[in-house]
Amino acid sequence: MEINVNLYFQISPTSGVPIYRQLFDQVKICIAMGKFTEGQFLPSIRDVAKSLEINPMTVSKAYSLLEKSGHLEFVRGQGMRVPASPQVSHGVVSPEDELAPLLREVVNRAQQMSLERERVIEKFNEFWKGDGHE
Amino acid sequence: MNNVIHARSVDKAYGNKKVLSGLDLDIASGTVIGLLGRNGAGKTTLLKSVLGLIRVDKGTLMTMGENAWELSARGKSRIGYVPQGYRPYPWLQAGQLVEHTASFYPRWNAELVERLLREWTIDKAARVGSLSEGEAQKLAIILALGHEPDLLVFDEPVASLDPVSRRDFLRMILETVAERPCTVFFSTHITSDLERVADTVAVLKSGAIDFCGGLDELKDMVKRIRVRASGVIPQDFGGVGILSRRVQGNDGVFTVRGYSDSLRPLLERNVGGTIEVEDLNLEEIFLEMTR
Repeated sequence: MEINVNLYFQISPTSGVPIYRQLFDQVKICIAMGKFTEGQFLPSIRDVAKSLEINPMTVSKAYSLLEKSGHLEFVRGQGMRVPASPQVSHGVVSPEDELAPLLREVVNRAQQMSLERERVIEKFNEFWKGDGHE
Repeated sequence: MNNVIHARSVDKAYGNKKVLSGLDLDIASGTVIGLLGRNGAGKTTLLKSVLGLIRVDKGTLMTMGENAWELSARGKSRIGYVPQGYRPYPWLQAGQLVEHTASFYPRWNAELVERLLREWTIDKAARVGSLSEGEAQKLAIILALGHEPDLLVFDEPVASLDPVSRRDFLRMILETVAERPCTVFFSTHITSDLERVADTVAVLKSGAIDFCGGLDELKDMVKRIRVRASGVIPQDFGGVGILSRRVQGNDGVFTVRGYSDSLRPLLERNVGGTIEVEDLNLEEIFLEMTR
């Protein structure tokens, strides 16, 4: 099945995160969560650039990093696909690992404000249940 | 050498007002490069010098392998340029201006021009003088594309375009560079547009290029670092090129221009505490670098 670019990728050019890294992270997450399955081809660099209205070099950079990290494999004449072989899947970052930097930031910030651990967890639980504000 | 633009030690002054001073710049073929700088930084002077419209006082300035000031007719025919506030022959109809411009070039993609005029809803029967600022700018952009130049130079191309037209303009640049090899050199104040289309960014400050390189590279190296030290925060905590600092007791906020993830442990050791690294977007980076 063809991957609809705008359905899976959302680029924010004004974010501090470089666009290639946003794309890199989003592909990784989609693979980790099973949205992109083994053997599935990703849209071409040109299609992604066109749909997201970003420079093709940016997409190319994200794809080649994903290839290097083992999340994608390049098939001559066909493009990039999610590898089928299980031995490369260990390179896939687990969803838990994805959250680690965010959690570390929350902990850092909470410590800066000298917040109690219990208070943070309480707040976390509120957000989890959807009662959190914002 | 495959550089479309090559500048070394370029100086330019108006009277005793120095505008460019010791400017170095290399732009590789096929680059989409955005030029950032504050008002009066010399952006327009640089662009016009590259086009051979302004003669620099000192230094070397080559455009597509030729001395910029002595650019040949063939060299010029490979350039498309949109200046600020271009509105020639106000008495001509837009369609007549298109024909007039086309007559100068041996190669003219009439099909492309017609399509863009349609897409951007420019009325060919309207007098150039009666077009709105935005329409006149769109027309100028279309005229610069008609002869399919190898080098496109835009001076504040989106300044008077509404958000929809700005997006159209960005898409058009991306389409142009995807279809054929073409170098795009543009100045702008709108950093979010630059972030979408440019692969390279040049920052002009005090008449010289302060940074020229990949946009991603710039974002990876300019960071805001929040420090919580166990003791007093040192003035300089490790050769990372500090752009600004705010310190209060054991807490500090630094903006640095030489960060890399591999430096993190070193920085933490130097401050004897924890650091938190924040990403900055291009606008914030620009503000910090040109302050």
